[in-house]
Amino acid sequence: MTRRARMPDMARRDREPLFRVDPAALPPLSPEPQAPPRPVSPARVASGAEGYDLDGTRVLALPNPTSPEEEDALVRAFLSGLEKLFSRENNWTFLQPLLLSMEHCAHCQTCSEACHVFESSGRAEIYRPTYRSEVFRRLYFEYVKGGGLISAWQHGTVELNWPLVARLAELAYRCNLCRRCAQTCPIGVDNGLIAHEIRKLFSQELGIAPKELHAAGSMLQLKSGSSTGMIPAAVKDNVQFIDEEMTEKTGLAAETPWDVEGADILLIHNAGEVLAWPENPGAFGVILNAAGVSWTMSSDIAGYDSVNYGLWYDDAQLARVALLHAEIARKLNVKKIVIGECGHAHKSLLVVADRLLTGDLRVPRESALTVLRDIVVSGRLRLDPGRNDFPVTLHDPCNMVRLMGVVEPQREILRRVCPQFREMHPHGVDNYCCGGGSGFAIMSGHGFEDWRSDVAGRKKLQQILDAFSDCLSTSIPKYVCAPCSNCKGQIRDLLAHHGAWKQHRILYGGLAELIVNAMADVRPGFIEWEWR
Amino acid sequence: MPTVELNGKPYEVDENGFLAQPLIWNDNVAADLATTEGITAMTDEHWVLVRYIRDYYLKFGIAPMVRKLCKETGNTLTHVYELFPSGPANGACKVAGLPKPTGCV
Repeated sequence: MTRRARMPDMARRDREPLFRVDPAALPPLSPEPQAPPRPVSPARVASGAEGYDLDGTRVLALPNPTSPEEEDALVRAFLSGLEKLFSRENNWTFLQPLLLSMEHCAHCQTCSEACHVFESSGRAEIYRPTYRSEVFRRLYFEYVKGGGLISAWQHGTVELNWPLVARLAELAYRCNLCRRCAQTCPIGVDNGLIAHEIRKLFSQELGIAPKELHAAGSMLQLKSGSSTGMIPAAVKDNVQFIDEEMTEKTGLAAETPWDVEGADILLIHNAGEVLAWPENPGAFGVILNAAGVSWTMSSDIAGYDSVNYGLWYDDAQLARVALLHAEIARKLNVKKIVIGECGHAHKSLLVVADRLLTGDLRVPRESALTVLRDIVVSGRLRLDPGRNDFPVTLHDPCNMVRLMGVVEPQREILRRVCPQFREMHPHGVDNYCCGGGSGFAIMSGHGFEDWRSDVAGRKKLQQILDAFSDCLSTSIPKYVCAPCSNCKGQIRDLLAHHGAWKQHRILYGGLAELIVNAMADVRPGFIEWEWR
Repeated sequence: MPTVELNGKPYEVDENGFLAQPLIWNDNVAADLATTEGITAMTDEHWVLVRYIRDYYLKFGIAPMVRKLCKETGNTLTHVYELFPSGPANGACKVAGLPKPTGCV
């Protein structure tokens, strides 16, 4: 299919995708990576085309209606959800910005130039930020505002049928919700919010959401305590192992305090760190203990996992998890909650939850980046930056940086502990998403992992290669500092997909590890130059 | 759930090729799954990792920490990647018959 899909194509009844990524036709990378061979997933070969295809990949298990009546029922459910999105009682949280984004787009396309997915796809029309929004906007004017001839002339129309609804559901998951488009829009229209609201409609009204986010995500977290499936006994066992490792590695006695009432700080990590990158929570423990901070972790359900996947697709799920986090802090009577290196957890508990928490649930909440910055700047740690004498660049997680404006604290730290720190371009609030934003980093199957490495992450990969263009030789180890679990997972997959560790010795990791690696009282060599 | 044929036997797997019913796992199933990971012959080194992961899963219901896996089986992570090119989570856990690990891992 061509990259010039038109709006009516969304309603097409043939099974051909509207667009298919051709890796050879994507914008070139420099230097061109040599992708390593990968084992072929048998399931990918086995899964035939079902339903109405958007772009050859998919993240949702959509229903397969077999009769016009079944299709109508699904379209009616979609319309019912659409109505609710635009009513105050059902969507008091986001109604106002949604209405502004529906009513005021001037179709100037400034946003399209800011979107990494659109650009990196070779400007495929279906990934243009306004394409998705415009389909949705036409439905809004026709079915929520009443339509009519003048409306049709003014705003345009689009045929509403099940194929369009099915493709729109998938299309809501081709946007990272990074909101770079909203930042650049001269009017403040938020296409990221529109994609988010479409996801929400499908989850809250039709029960449709990626299983990684819902069934094996927020539901698993509410049931077991963590989206990783770690029950409280498992996390304590694992953290004890980390404490032993840290003691052995650093030469300083490491002990994680659990469920300490009245502690100054309740530290909540993304539990994925414990399993996949234990050196990160381990480094936090080393720093907090060395700085003499009063802190604790919680072994309550969800108390040891800051993730809140509801942020990406379902307000009710978001509220359930945010309330658990706040209740644990109230129960322990801590002075504040500190969120570890996890971007979406920052947004959900530090920003969005402000609209949910009342009374004594309004526990003060802070980013780990500012806490770490204060410790480093205070002089409480003896630091030897010479131990970090390798090239380091910094990725700005969208939720912490563009959304919250936490720009300088992590840089103040890096300038003190990393003599070869260099910026990506652009950076700070103008950064590009890693391509894993809004949960993509943990979503896979049906070729989606290729899509997010080839398309969604392409811009970030080029930024990383550019930041290290003076030192790409394998004789120089390099470090991409990504202080967010989701970004870290995506950057891992991105570097592996394009062979950047093997070809250029580019490794990735968090921020706390760089601090510990520079601590003079710690045995040298905290950061291990081994692919993980 | 799609069905794949491995060494002439049908298996129900998820869209990432992980076994749909982890309890049907045995050594023969592991050897069949290994073919999907580009492993032509399971060696003793493969089995040590797979058995550790399997035992841990049966005890705790999840995959072990990668670091624990390395330490307790005496492997470097680099060597785990040599044995299972897709890595411990996507390669070794698949061969050990676990469902795909969940959460931000």
